[in-house]
Amino acid sequence: MPTELVVPEAGTRELSYAEAIREGLAQAMQADERVFLFGEDVGVYGGAFGVSGDLFHKFGPERVIDTPISELGIAGAAVGAAITGMKPVLELQFSDFVTLAMEQIVNQAAKIHFMFGGKATVPMVVRLPGGSGTGAAAQHSQSLEAWFAHVPGLKVVQPSTPHDAKGLLLAAIDDPNPVLIFEHKLLYKTKGPVPEEAYRVPIGKAAVRRAGRDLTIVGSSIMAIRAVAAAARLAGENIDAEVIDLRSLRPIDLTTIAASVRKTHRLLIVYEGVKIMGIGAEISAMIAESDAFDFLDAPIARLGGADVPLPYNPVLEKAAVPQEDDIVAAARRLVREGRA
Amino acid sequence: MPIEVILPKVDMDMDDGIITEWKVAPGDRVRQGQILFDIETNKSVMEVESPASGVIRDLAPITGEPVAVGTVVGWIDADAEAGASSAAAAERTRTTSPSAAKADIDHPTSSPEPAASVEAASVAPSDSIRATPLARRAARMLDVNLADVAGSGPAGRIVEKDVAAHAGPAPKSAVASADRLVPFNPVRRIVAQRLAESARSAPHFFVSAHIEMSGLQAALRHPGGQQSPDRARPSMTVALAYLASRVLALHPLLNASIEGEAVRLHPGVNIGVAIDDQGDLFVPVLRDASTHTLYDLAREFARLRAAVRARQIVPDDMRGGTFTISNLGMYGVDAFTAIINPPESAILAIGRTTDTPVGRDGRVVLRPMATFTLSSDHRIVDGVTAARFIADLREAIEHPEGLS
Amino acid sequence: MAIAPGNRTTAAQAPERPELAALGDDALRVALSRMHLIRKFEETAEASYMRGLIHGTMHLSIGQEASAVGATLELARDDYILSTHRGHGHCIAKGADPARMFAEFFGKENGYCRGRGGSMHIADIEGGNLGANGIVAGGLPIAVGVGMSIKAQKQHRVCMVFFGDGAANEGAFHESLNMASIWRLPIVFVCENNKYGMSMDIARAMAVANVADRAPAYAMPGIAIDGNDLPAVVAAARPAIELARRGGGPTLLECKTYRLRGHSKSDRNLYRSKEEIEAWRDKDAIRRLERELIAHGRFAEAELLAIEQAAQRTIDDALEFAKASPDPDPAQLTRDVYAD
Repeated sequence: MPTELVVPEAGTRELSYAEAIREGLAQAMQADERVFLFGEDVGVYGGAFGVSGDLFHKFGPERVIDTPISELGIAGAAVGAAITGMKPVLELQFSDFVTLAMEQIVNQAAKIHFMFGGKATVPMVVRLPGGSGTGAAAQHSQSLEAWFAHVPGLKVVQPSTPHDAKGLLLAAIDDPNPVLIFEHKLLYKTKGPVPEEAYRVPIGKAAVRRAGRDLTIVGSSIMAIRAVAAAARLAGENIDAEVIDLRSLRPIDLTTIAASVRKTHRLLIVYEGVKIMGIGAEISAMIAESDAFDFLDAPIARLGGADVPLPYNPVLEKAAVPQEDDIVAAARRLVREGRA
Repeated sequence: MPIEVILPKVDMDMDDGIITEWKVAPGDRVRQGQILFDIETNKSVMEVESPASGVIRDLAPITGEPVAVGTVVGWIDADAEAGASSAAAAERTRTTSPSAAKADIDHPTSSPEPAASVEAASVAPSDSIRATPLARRAARMLDVNLADVAGSGPAGRIVEKDVAAHAGPAPKSAVASADRLVPFNPVRRIVAQRLAESARSAPHFFVSAHIEMSGLQAALRHPGGQQSPDRARPSMTVALAYLASRVLALHPLLNASIEGEAVRLHPGVNIGVAIDDQGDLFVPVLRDASTHTLYDLAREFARLRAAVRARQIVPDDMRGGTFTISNLGMYGVDAFTAIINPPESAILAIGRTTDTPVGRDGRVVLRPMATFTLSSDHRIVDGVTAARFIADLREAIEHPEGLS
Repeated sequence: MAIAPGNRTTAAQAPERPELAALGDDALRVALSRMHLIRKFEETAEASYMRGLIHGTMHLSIGQEASAVGATLELARDDYILSTHRGHGHCIAKGADPARMFAEFFGKENGYCRGRGGSMHIADIEGGNLGANGIVAGGLPIAVGVGMSIKAQKQHRVCMVFFGDGAANEGAFHESLNMASIWRLPIVFVCENNKYGMSMDIARAMAVANVADRAPAYAMPGIAIDGNDLPAVVAAARPAIELARRGGGPTLLECKTYRLRGHSKSDRNLYRSKEEIEAWRDKDAIRRLERELIAHGRFAEAELLAIEQAAQRTIDDALEFAKASPDPDPAQLTRDVYAD
């Protein structure tokens, strides 16, 4: 299976983000009988967001397992299955429900390999639909990936395109460590080219979506998509933005970001998680500590989620997270005024 | 309350240092972290930062004499009256605009402009200089004094284009404009001093040899012996350092230093390799080179070279050399004579390898040949000593058995 | 009373109760040896701790040996166990090497977990011990996953998971028993009810009188027994193990026992009386079994003494091994955070 960065050729057929994940799951389960999918409503119902679709009919109830509403229990079950030779893929219905499973993910999955002196491995994958924009309000709309990027022993990824959704899933299934995949609800229906064969997108490698000279915009998940759109608009104002799609939060590709900042001298970080104490804070600090610091010609700017539980009202909901307009305005301010 | 400015310990085994230059004058307002003066240690010149902000006075004079570590060399009166009130005013404007701050968090499009402009008004123009890291770097490289530059950024911050504009267009015209006086940077200052000293006091003589490189070239292309675990192929320079180190182990006078009227023989061979980076000369040292494998040396050299490029090389990596090699072959130089790196007793200059007609078995053939020139200090090394070394070096290079 | 070694004398002897009769001499030798090993291991660990040789704290299981040994006696080497923070006994009962266990407690590089886990995270993966757990009830969801894995790989193994009375009130307990039951997983749930969580008397913490009373709520067999009666424990575990192994699903076993030491090394036993502790000391599982074996002429005193002394020697050697073992190298601090 190719493991290098795969750029789809022109003419590749298009799939939606959800279809791409489904195809990845099917190919993984086909290739390796140790892989199985489980979670709430993933079987007969086809998944709350339609991701598992007809996998239940293709692979049967022993490979696509419906579970009771027991997030702590099923997270622990993923750990137990993984340490005894299986490769479980757990779907937590909303990423917000990971709070119920924290014990098994943080105290067990992340630490078993280390605590046992390298003797056991936990090759499990947890898929979590997250993010806001569907009016699901405070308890069903969060972006909690930063919490897990803070835990040694875990890996955390966020695909933004259908191509990367499939490739990162296959890479995650292949990884002997616990990997959390934060999918974004608003992206499930977006379409993009997805190669038919199985392939991996390397974990820990960012993608430069657009090359530019005036500033670097770093984002992940839906923010990477909005940043690319913002960059197209900024080009019309003669601001040439370089857009980096992180794809991986832990491990994070500091090398690519630093190289970009050395070139453009300005950095804008865009993320949906709450702004303070989030990934933007970490990336800012990493850049300030790196040799890219000497090449900054303006303060590092961050656009993050507002300091508020996600509101129900749609106008408020939109105002609570960075939108394309916000990215354009922030980039303009950074380049034209040197202000964060 | 006045704050001491002391001569700090910046190096291991350092008991004293020499102040070489003050960057500020008595009465200047200084900022915490600003460079106050340069001190010279055995191997390098280090910049010393201010421990506090305030007005500096009573600077120790520059005598060229060593000053003990910990000696007070200046005093800073932290934040005189004018400074205190402007700092407080800046604080007040920051804390009395909570709505501006909140707006920043909730609506990233609104800017904290009111606070910044009040701040700019209450700060005296002769106060600390705001400049971005990039602007500072540009100022260093273009030799621009930031105090002379007007900043176009927020709160008068100097950005890179301000420095570039100040430095003016580069003289590209065929007609030379006025001379530019570029003061030595710290590295250049050290190099100049030491090599001048070396040329002055060590009676140099030179011994050359044309050495056939084909054996060594072949050995490096197809390394026998142990495979390097990280698959790094050693460069010709590292291979020559490796071979030279083994030959030096047999020629102690070339791995020695003069001390008064005695010769200090060194037990280990620490080979310095001259490296140029952006016009500055560095000589990182491969410690105990004669006891390491070729691949260990290659790895270590790669580390040192990366550190030089990142300007993160530390004095420790450049001290303790007992012999130096300098390879100008990659610049197309056929042969040259190098100045000994004190307190060493010899240095090896390496020219480029070219196919040269030589006589072999009564015929003229083309062989890849390079000219090696050994400079030696005639106070401790005689002609025959140098000659024997060169002969052994030739043998090692032309017959590199089992390079490993 | 002199009894010829190995002789079953005829004089008035009550018939052996069935639980004892079902155990052959070899099985009894193994059981006794293990119980002595556990007892002496715990006492030696305690002494080392008091001498300042052991970092952190320890949770001793002195008084609970029959429960650990009895439950695991008839497990196969490739059956799995999951243990608790009070897991030294389970670890030895499953066949671990006391030398490497001590080395682990001393934080040494050749401990079972290279000194990275310590007492609460001791694991012997090759021996089927998937780890002690520092989180109360932490092993229960993991057991569910192990059970799923055994079924998926069509193995005939059993997973035995130990937990305490306090754990029976964690959500994880209920989620795990429920899932084990609906999926008929090959799990034996063994609750070691030693009457106290840390300081809380189980009578004040639990709504029912016995943990085993909860089994019917999860449609599985439940049985409470005297956990200090080794033959009784073996007799109760046997059908549970067989049921699991032949695909009949899980069982809940409750071993009523008592810990003679405090919860941990910082416990001053303020929550129970000296009289209570003394009363249980008289019901000591090891002496009780030995008296019974002598009374029925199964073994002579001399042989029992020899077993005990052999155990003491093993523990003495193990301690010396640990003291002589090397410390980990701080330069290796971050090894095994991730698997390659």
